[in-house]
Amino acid sequence: MKVLVTVKRVVDYNVKVRAKADGSDVDLNNVKMAINPFCEIAVEEAVRLKEAGTATEVVVVSVGAKQCQEQIRTALALGADRGIHVETEGAVEPLVVAKLLKGVVEKEEPRLVILGKQSIDGDNNQTGQMLGALTNMPQGTFASEVAIDGDKVNVTREVDAGMQTISLNLPAIVTSDLRLNEPRYASLPNIMKAKKKPLDVFSPADLGVEVTSHITQLSVAPPAERQAGIIVESVEQLVDKLKNEAKVIS
Amino acid sequence: MSLDFSFSEENVMLVDALGEAMKPWAGPRKAELTEMVSNSIFPQELWQTFADVGLMGCLVPEEYGGTDVGLLPLALGFEKIAAMGISPNILLVTCMDSACIARNATDAIKEQYLPDIVSGKSKFCFAITEADAGTNSFNMTTKATAVGDKFVINGAKSYISGFEVADYMLLVARTTSQEDSKDTKMGQYHGLSLFIVPTDAPGIEKQLMPMAFNEGVGQYSLYFDNVEVAADQVVGQVDMGALVMFNSLNPERILAAAMCSGMSQFSVNMAAEYAKERKVFRDTPIGCYQGIAHPLAMAKSEHEAARLLMLKAAWAYDQKWDAVKVGSLANMCKLMNSESALHSVDAAIETLGGSAFTVEQGLLPLWNGARLLKTAPVSKEMILNFIAEWELGLPKSY
Repeated sequence: MKVLVTVKRVVDYNVKVRAKADGSDVDLNNVKMAINPFCEIAVEEAVRLKEAGTATEVVVVSVGAKQCQEQIRTALALGADRGIHVETEGAVEPLVVAKLLKGVVEKEEPRLVILGKQSIDGDNNQTGQMLGALTNMPQGTFASEVAIDGDKVNVTREVDAGMQTISLNLPAIVTSDLRLNEPRYASLPNIMKAKKKPLDVFSPADLGVEVTSHITQLSVAPPAERQAGIIVESVEQLVDKLKNEAKVIS
Repeated sequence: MSLDFSFSEENVMLVDALGEAMKPWAGPRKAELTEMVSNSIFPQELWQTFADVGLMGCLVPEEYGGTDVGLLPLALGFEKIAAMGISPNILLVTCMDSACIARNATDAIKEQYLPDIVSGKSKFCFAITEADAGTNSFNMTTKATAVGDKFVINGAKSYISGFEVADYMLLVARTTSQEDSKDTKMGQYHGLSLFIVPTDAPGIEKQLMPMAFNEGVGQYSLYFDNVEVAADQVVGQVDMGALVMFNSLNPERILAAAMCSGMSQFSVNMAAEYAKERKVFRDTPIGCYQGIAHPLAMAKSEHEAARLLMLKAAWAYDQKWDAVKVGSLANMCKLMNSESALHSVDAAIETLGGSAFTVEQGLLPLWNGARLLKTAPVSKEMILNFIAEWELGLPKSY
C-alpha cells in the first residue's frame, strides 16, 4: 500500500512571530522554519504504517517555494521513502494546494493520503477536506487513531461530544490531530540516508493546475498586549470579580 | 568565492533533531537531571538519546556502524547540548577515544569496540594524568611491561573523569623508560603506548577524589597492581603512543571549545530574556540600561568571534589539515571560547543579580564549568606556549 503524506513549511512553533512594520504580513526574515507540527504527526503515522508492514512506500509531498525541500528532506530523514516538491511562488491558498495535491494523487495513486489537520500559520483547516471533495475520496478528519483493516481504514476522530470511530473505504484521506502519535526525531544516520533518497520537482503546469488567488490578505497585526494579572485572596473574591468586574459569569 | 559561512542542510537537521530529542531534559525533566548530577547518578537515558541521535558515530567509519560525518557536526552537537544548559562531559572523552581508535587501532580493535560506542553500549574514559605528570605528560611513570603475549601494568593515575561509569579506559603508560627513550630518534616522544583496559580488570583499585564542584561524574585516583592486558589491545604502535595521543588531543580541545561556545550562548540568551522582562525602577525593563545591555552585547560579540574560530578548527580537522596547524587552531579556539564563556556567564550573573545564584537558574554550575575549561584539558599558559612556539617561531621557554 502506497501512502502519500503532505508536509508544509511553516515558522517553527518555538518562534515568537512578529508582524512586519508595515503590517502587510508576518516577518519571515531570519526566522527559523520547520515542518508544521500536524504534518510531522502525519509523517510519523505513515512511517509507522510502513514499519508495521502495512504500507510499502511512503511518498512525501510539499507545495511551496524552493526552500520547502528542507522540510521534505527532514521528512525523508524521519523515514519517508521519496519526495515530491511542487514548486510555487508566493502565497498559495488552500484550494490551490488541494488542486495541486489532486494532481499528485492522480500521478501517484496512493491508497491512503495523510495530511495534518491544519497548519499553524494559516490555521485554515481546509486543505484535507478540499482534497476529499476534489478527488471524491472519503475523508476522516481530526484522527487520533488510524487502523487499516483490509480494504478499509478505521479512523477515530476527536469530536465535540467525545470520540467517534468511522470506517472509510480505501483509497481515503486522513487528517491528523495532535494526539495521533508522538513524532520521533531524526537521527544522523537517517539524515545522511535522506540525502540519497529521490526528490522530484514539478511545476503547477506539470500537474495541469493554474495558480489563481481568491483571497487577498489585507493586514497582519499582533494581538493586543496582555495586561498584568492580579492575585486574588480567596475563591469568593475570584467569583465576585468574575461576576461583577469581568462579567463572564452571572 | 569558496568561503561560505552557511551550514549544510544535514548539519542544521542534526542540530534540530538533537534539540527536539533533548527538549525534555532542558524543560520538564531539567530539575530531575540537576538532581541526578548533584547526586552523581549517571543519566543513562540521556546518554542513550545522544547515541540514538547518532553523536557517537560522527567520528566512526560506516563499516563500524558510524556515519563518519566528521568533527564539525559533532562540535555543533556539543554546542547545542551545552546551549541547552546541559554538560556533555564524559561524551567528550568517549568521542575523543573513538576518534583515536578509528584513526590508529587495528581492524580487530575497531571491530571489537567501535560498534558498541556508536550504539551507546560502551563508555570510555581516558587515563593519562598522574600526580607528577599533569601538564608534562612525559613525566609519567605508570609502566607497562611486556610479558609473553601480555603487558603487565603497574603505577597510578589521577584525575580520571568518569571512571565509575566507563566500561573501558584508554590508558597511556610507559613501555620504555624516559632515560632509555632519550637516545632514540624520536627522543622524549618515544616510549609511551596506548592500551584499552576494561575498567573492571583485576588489579585496579579506585579512589574517589573529593572535588569542590560536581560535574555529574566523579574524578578518580587509580592504582594499578599487576594489571594484565593482552598485547593485541595496544592502540597504534608500541612506544609510539605520544604521537597518537597528541593527535587525539586536538578533537578534545575543539569539543571543549564547542561546549564553551554553547555555555556562552545559553548564558547570554537567558540573561537577555531576563533583561527584557525584569523591571526594577518604574516601568523600564533593565535591558534598557546600558550598564546591563553593553556587557551582554560585548559578550555576544566575543562569543561570535570565538565560535568562528572553533568552527574553523573543527573544519580544518575534518579537512585533515597539517596536525600542527590543526593543533594551533584547536588551542586558540579552546583559549578564546573558554574566555568567552567566562565573560558571558559573568555578564549573565551581573544581569540576574541575586537570582543568578539560585539552583533553578543553573548559572553557578556553568560558572564552575567555564572556569574548569579555562584550565582543562590544557591550561591557558600551555596554549600560549604552543602558539608562541609553533605559530610565531619563538624559542621554547620550558
